Amino acid sequence: MIPELGHIALIVALQLALLQGILGLVGASRDNAAWRAMARGAAGGQLLFVLLGFLALGWSFLINDFSVMNVADHSSRFLPVEYRITAAWGSHEGSFLLWTLLMAGWTLAVVILGRKLPADLHARVIGIMGLLSFFFLAYLLFTSNPFMRLHPPPANGSDLNPLLQDPGMIIHPPLLYMGYVGFSVAFAFAIAALISGKLDEAWARWVRPWALMAWVFLTLGIMIGSWWAYYELGWGGWWFWDPSENASLMPWLAGTALLHSLVVTERRGALRVWTVFLALLAFALSLVGTFLVRSGVLSSVHAFALDPLRGLFILVFLCILIGGSLALFAKRASAVKVAGDFGMISRETALLTGNVLLLAALATVLLGTLYPLFLDAFGLGKISVGPPYFNAVFVPMMVPVLLLLGIAPWMRWGEERLPDLLPRVRGLAIAAVLIGLALPFAFDAWRWQAALGLALAAWMMLTTITGLIARRRTDGRLPLAAYGMACAHVGLAIGIIGMGLVTAYQSEKAVAMNPGDSTSLGRYEFIFRGAEEVPASNYSAMRGTIELKQEGQAVATLLPEKRIYRSSQMTMTEAAIRYGFFGDVYVAMGEPLPGGTWSVQLYLKPFVGWLWGGAVLMALGGLLAALGLRNKGVGA
Amino acid sequence: MNLWIGVGALVGVALAFLLVPLWRQKSALAGRQSEIRWPAVGLLGVLPALTVGLYLYLGAPGILKELALTQAQSNYDVDGMVRALEDKLKATPNDPEGWYALGRAYIAFSRYADAEEVLRKATTQAPKDARIIAQYAEAMALKQGSLDGRPLELIKAALEISYEEEKALELAGLAAFQKENWAEALHYWRRLLKLLPKATEHHEAITQAVKTAERKLDIRLGGTGMPLPPQPAEPKKAPH
Repeated sequence: MIPELGHIALIVALQLALLQGILGLVGASRDNAAWRAMARGAAGGQLLFVLLGFLALGWSFLINDFSVMNVADHSSRFLPVEYRITAAWGSHEGSFLLWTLLMAGWTLAVVILGRKLPADLHARVIGIMGLLSFFFLAYLLFTSNPFMRLHPPPANGSDLNPLLQDPGMIIHPPLLYMGYVGFSVAFAFAIAALISGKLDEAWARWVRPWALMAWVFLTLGIMIGSWWAYYELGWGGWWFWDPSENASLMPWLAGTALLHSLVVTERRGALRVWTVFLALLAFALSLVGTFLVRSGVLSSVHAFALDPLRGLFILVFLCILIGGSLALFAKRASAVKVAGDFGMISRETALLTGNVLLLAALATVLLGTLYPLFLDAFGLGKISVGPPYFNAVFVPMMVPVLLLLGIAPWMRWGEERLPDLLPRVRGLAIAAVLIGLALPFAFDAWRWQAALGLALAAWMMLTTITGLIARRRTDGRLPLAAYGMACAHVGLAIGIIGMGLVTAYQSEKAVAMNPGDSTSLGRYEFIFRGAEEVPASNYSAMRGTIELKQEGQAVATLLPEKRIYRSSQMTMTEAAIRYGFFGDVYVAMGEPLPGGTWSVQLYLKPFVGWLWGGAVLMALGGLLAALGLRNKGVGA
Repeated sequence: MNLWIGVGALVGVALAFLLVPLWRQKSALAGRQSEIRWPAVGLLGVLPALTVGLYLYLGAPGILKELALTQAQSNYDVDGMVRALEDKLKATPNDPEGWYALGRAYIAFSRYADAEEVLRKATTQAPKDARIIAQYAEAMALKQGSLDGRPLELIKAALEISYEEEKALELAGLAAFQKENWAEALHYWRRLLKLLPKATEHHEAITQAVKTAERKLDIRLGGTGMPLPPQPAEPKKAPH
């Protein structure tokens, strides 16, 4: 009964979304207040009904209703309750239901927080979001129905993918989706501006908080995903240039460019067309990313052909959305275009250059991610594009971005004179280079990755902090957004320190250990105390006990596990990590060898936590900026 | 039916979300009542019809009845069958097949002591039936929680009568597995696999057991135990 009602709720939501779209857009162009009011009502109803559908699916998982195919395929009686609930978005169908739920949530937020916007803009944004929701709900109902039933129901389900049975995976998808879906707001604002031809500083001021919030969620989502990969995949890597990671990096890069371009549009009225383009791009890439990850083309481009309806639906949707918005862009961009007036050397130019470099870096990621898929799809052979390509192409592209990041906030809007600028930053540049050259000597060896990371980070931090102090001195009280920017930039610098140092100084060792054996790595001594079997409800684990000593002193007992999940017979490595401010000690069980011996993998990861700490600071900075912009009373 | 009351309620709420805002605009649209009337009438007609139509097309409206039916049937079957069998055996106790069926039913209900008792009766009535003996051994093992001792003797006895007895092969393999005699366990289970129909749950379970035993044996023989299971042990890709 409950699953059927959930199904019907989604069918009702589908119609409400379509009504929201039509009533919103037509109500705006015909200036019909009644229709606009109905569009807002439809948005509220849509959220309620999608929520009902989502709760119905969650309920089916909770009570092990295996007559629902989705439950039978992604849960089991032995699955602990918390993962039974989160399994609701562990499947393809469930995760799209989550997507539509978040989309409806963002829509209602726009309905409520955007009340003070001009009525036609407000209704258009709601209408466009309604049409997007309609597509997602139609996709869900017609190709990925989470409420398909089985008769007769199986006695037990086939369990949740063990990789997903982890707290990190519970919050990673919702955060990521909050980011992806959040960019739909900026997208809708951009389309609305193109339709009406009204795109001015006020428009940019309204869009900024929305774009910032989406970016904050996306940043956190990517961070959690990276952290999850670090502790769950068993060898302590934090970024793999895996297509599913690139899929989230691309909208992030476009979103970052959008945030900075919005600043120029808001403050100077310039770069309008560019800003609109980025707003379209960020959401389009969110969809491309979701398509890549969810359609199955990544595991194999031929998986796409196994379920052609699903893939085709998204592909057609993408073509309509990207093609349609680009066509609208081409036709209407001239209407919103206003010649921005700024000099060759100015803050605008610096931000634009940074933007273009971000997009160039994005293009390299896009190429490296899609090109192998195209080749494979057209039967032209399989190639693997991995970290060597990305490290060689992406990283050098980002270095000038980071250099500009330091210098741009120092530059004047409109026109800057180099003789004025250089003396202000020369000292900081020299200091940064010296720090970069000198600090690595504090470690075991001088390595260029560490020097580069430290020099860049020092440059970013010094310029950001001295810049903030200087602005405080001249402007007095600064807006919250200024602190937000500083916080995000310092966060990025901290992340860069983590990346540079862990790349330069990580060390690892794989050893076969008998109970009682000890081995050392770095300043640590590891003593293996044996492994014992530890059963759990849906898996059985071999848990190793490893004592960690530093200079003869016991500092920790690490308990890495090797798990075999019952239903799927999948083996999983559960690493034991001793987190530390200056670095982590990371231990993973390898394979059992004859006679109670185990191969054990030991890793030292200096400063790796700074990576994620930096990302959290960046997100916090974004949040501060968004709050600051809202508190300025801009109405949206 | 209840479901359609639910549909009505959901559609009613949806209409409220649309019509209440429309109603509130009434004063603003004074004199232009038709601008309210027609959308309202349209929605009242279209939304319920489309909801029902789409649900009949996409959904499984019959599922509730079917599920209810299956449930009633299975309740009826199980209780009724066991009780009927008990009554029948009271009247005609000389029926090894009947005792055997009752024993299996008791095992399904985890009534191991009862199962052991009725299966003992069955074996005294048909002392040369390997299938019944093996089943008796299983009931006994379930009751005492171990295959050691008498159950194992019975299993061996069943195999002596017939080396094709599936339950006996399975239990013999399990007993060997528990004693870590991997090779012996493999011997019984591989034999069993040849007898079982393919693509059944039982076949699948035994295949898994064989794989586990093979891995254990491989480790004992000095290998790493790695070639199995077939899927990569360390999935490197993050699924999303």
